[in-house]
Amino acid sequence: MVDILVSNFPYLLEGLGVALVLLAALLAVGVALGAAIALLQVYGPRVWWVRWPIFVFERVFRGVPIIILLFLFYYGLSGVYDISSFAAAILGLGFRSAAYQSQIFRSALQSVDVGQMVAARAMGMSKLQAIAFVAVPQGVRYALGPWTNEFSAELKDTSLAYVIGVVELTRQAKYIISSNHGHILVVFAVAAAMYFVVNKIGNSFFYRLEAKYAVPGSERRLFSR
Amino acid sequence: MDSQRVLDVRQMRKTYGDIEILKGISLSLDRGQTKVLIGPSGSGKSTLLNCINYLVPPDDGEVKLNGVIVGDRNLNAMRAKMGFVFQGFNLFAHLTVLDNIRICPMKVKKVSKDEATERAYLELDRVGLKDKAAAYPAQLSGGQQQRVSIARALAMDPTVILFDEPTSALDPELTGEVIRVMKNLADDGMTMLVVSHEMGFARSAADEIIFMEHGVIVEQGPPAMLFSSPQQRRTADFLRVIAEHA
Amino acid sequence: MHDFLDFSRAWLPELLKGVPATLLLWIISITLAFFLGLALAWARIYGNRFWYAVSTVYVEVFRGTPMLVQMFFIYLGLPEIGIVFDSFTCAIIAIALNSAAYQAEYFRGSMQSIPHGQMVAARACGMSQWQAVLHIVLPQALRRVVPQWSNEAILELKFTSIAYTIGVVEITARASKIGYETLQFFDIFILAAIIYLVLTSFVASLLDWVERRLHIPGVTNVG
Repeated sequence: MVDILVSNFPYLLEGLGVALVLLAALLAVGVALGAAIALLQVYGPRVWWVRWPIFVFERVFRGVPIIILLFLFYYGLSGVYDISSFAAAILGLGFRSAAYQSQIFRSALQSVDVGQMVAARAMGMSKLQAIAFVAVPQGVRYALGPWTNEFSAELKDTSLAYVIGVVELTRQAKYIISSNHGHILVVFAVAAAMYFVVNKIGNSFFYRLEAKYAVPGSERRLFSR
Repeated sequence: MDSQRVLDVRQMRKTYGDIEILKGISLSLDRGQTKVLIGPSGSGKSTLLNCINYLVPPDDGEVKLNGVIVGDRNLNAMRAKMGFVFQGFNLFAHLTVLDNIRICPMKVKKVSKDEATERAYLELDRVGLKDKAAAYPAQLSGGQQQRVSIARALAMDPTVILFDEPTSALDPELTGEVIRVMKNLADDGMTMLVVSHEMGFARSAADEIIFMEHGVIVEQGPPAMLFSSPQQRRTADFLRVIAEHA
Repeated sequence: MHDFLDFSRAWLPELLKGVPATLLLWIISITLAFFLGLALAWARIYGNRFWYAVSTVYVEVFRGTPMLVQMFFIYLGLPEIGIVFDSFTCAIIAIALNSAAYQAEYFRGSMQSIPHGQMVAARACGMSQWQAVLHIVLPQALRRVVPQWSNEAILELKFTSIAYTIGVVEITARASKIGYETLQFFDIFILAAIIYLVLTSFVASLLDWVERRLHIPGVTNVG
């Protein structure tokens, strides 16, 4: 059994690599889009043609199961452009992450004491400057805790890219099992352990980051998936 | 007179870390007696109370309730006979006032709901809050909450009631209503051990005042004697400090 | 658009046949998870060192690994050691075990948020620890946990779609099958998405109502 594991471990690593690249890409999409949405929601114009699309976006991407979203992006986009399953996964998971991240960022921005913003404006800063220099720096730190939860969740969600054919860690595990009779429990256990370890490393990294850059006098850890 | 002895505490010791909070305290209460424990903060008064009903297990010493030793085996049964009134009231937030008073008799003493309800209204009336039966603790003032907590203790038919600084967490204008209830209880013959800074209550309701400092009993005696001519210098010093801040 | 409506009229009934399976899978799983989660939380707060360790390891493992892998482990892996269940049962087990770990943490948080003094008061009048937790801590903790529990429940409703990968014929599986038959994947998955949206919205509203009904001043905050 050990030799099966040893000879196939590189494949698992390859799968993990794919998963991590997918993770990084989707989180990047999520941060960019999520931040934009959050800023719009907190500081943007309170007009229906801004509020409503955002509301619908969040509702849809938080209310539809990941697998369905992946299928939609894969089949929907390949009609328009020949998209690979990997790219479809990045977009599908990324947009969904944006929906969750926008809520994290919105909460974080709103945690910044409004009085500080008022003070900044009173001293002559433009709204944009106040946002950039007062709200965002603090908001980012408040967001780190919940964002770490999001990181954990998305790491596990990359496994679902399996359904549109992305050869990430879980699919690699399945390939190994089909090509080598048996050892199912062990292979899945090893794959699970790999997710677990990466998760722990990531959490520990972000936790220390959060502690190092925390705004003095604040402490926050929200519970979410 | 031993059949009258309700509470007997012998050589109670308790150490937290390297600090010895209780250094061998002994005291006793006869039926109907009200004794008030006074002393500076850190003297161990609250700890003593918590050790008597083993909410904090003492390191050494013995507690007897009506001649029966309190121990691991009969703890819940013994506690059912000792009422406890907390500085922070500790009412059950999810229950109405009526339920707060009913729940312990029903769950611990297995009293029927009807009987418990009847008794609850009785005690509620006794503390002057019959009209608040359906309210939730969060809707009451501090003084009202404490009176409910006294009613909760009374509904269990306790042999003795322990009071841990019952008015310390109350705004000054609310302490009166609680003191009044406690005074009535003392007059009615309830056996009470009270930790308090309320010297007015001590003077008028206590059969004996016990002054504690640094984990030992320095002096004890009837209020008249203790307040006017304390035997120990430390007692006199403490009383003077209290008088200055009154 | 007209094509889409025609398509919907033709295939929606077939797709809706997956709803009972989804709902059944969901309700059974979260109910089992509720009790297991409660037990795990109890073990972590009041249990002795052994149960604390068991509970902690359980929560770490199930929250630290993907549900898909857990489901494969149970459906494909357990038969290796002779434990075989049909796919529906495997899905229930996987979702329940997974959700229990998350629910355990929510329960633990809310149970620990109940002021300790009330527990002390309960013990002081003679209640056993079991009685105190059951009658004083839990009624308040369960009220407080409703918002987080609702999120978790709705999440699990969506995660029932994972059961598709091990052959359970719920909404996603039916959508996939219809997709292969008609080659109109996008349309059928849009329909599936709409069904899930309706379900999750309904459940969210229901749980919101429950939260408002259970509100007690001094125990929970509404809104």
